[in-house]
Amino acid sequence: MRVIETLTVPGTVDSLSKIAEYVKQVATIAELNHKATYKLRLAVDEIATNIITHGYAEAGLTGEIYLRADLDNSRLTLAIEDTGAIYNPDEKAVLQHEYLSQTLETREAGGLGVHLVLASVDEFRYERAGDRNRNIFIMHRNQ
Amino acid sequence: MEINLRKLQEIQVVELIGDVDASTAPEVQQEILPLAQPNSKLLLDMSQVPYMSSAGLRVLLSLYRQATAQDGKLVLVGLSEDLQDTMSVTGFLDFFATGDTLEAGLAQLKETVA
Repeated sequence: MRVIETLTVPGTVDSLSKIAEYVKQVATIAELNHKATYKLRLAVDEIATNIITHGYAEAGLTGEIYLRADLDNSRLTLAIEDTGAIYNPDEKAVLQHEYLSQTLETREAGGLGVHLVLASVDEFRYERAGDRNRNIFIMHRNQ
Repeated sequence: MEINLRKLQEIQVVELIGDVDASTAPEVQQEILPLAQPNSKLLLDMSQVPYMSSAGLRVLLSLYRQATAQDGKLVLVGLSEDLQDTMSVTGFLDFFATGDTLEAGLAQLKETVA
């Protein structure tokens, strides 16, 4: 795999538009179609938002968000790393089915983002790498 | 983010222009939530919103609850296919009255007067 682009931005909400531009740029290089590009942007935006609000702000921490895109013939792999509090999105995914069966009156506000992530990308995984959280998004290119 | 407000007779029209993400959603929420008054009729024109994350869904959730609690009416118009996908996969779409165009949305809200 070859690294096509990297981006490092401060872990604040002001960085979200810069992250979106970056995702659009690498999706263009990978020749993803409009829908796949939109979904990848959505997934990355949701996780970046979680990192900024939960991993950094609520934990009283500051730090950067590191993005990196790798490309091969069949897929685009985008990794986001941060040094914030340990935050495993997979743990949030468990209650999704129950959540979606509720009406809007009774729903809690959280949990939506992770659901969108899982519904948007072809593959998603979380891992802990040293002092970093690493979230990996994969989009298949043959669509 | 640009938020334009105007009144068409008894209907409050809210036009959003720009992406709704975690950096712009608080502003949107602050501007539009107070518009849900008792029996108010709200039309949210989203035809110029190219992108909306779950932060935007949470604003819609708050607005929906506020409007429902105040016996108000709320219609969303001009949702792109991308936004409809997001609202569909999260189960939001079924709860909202929607229209393709501003005119269709206004017609829906006027019907509820009779």
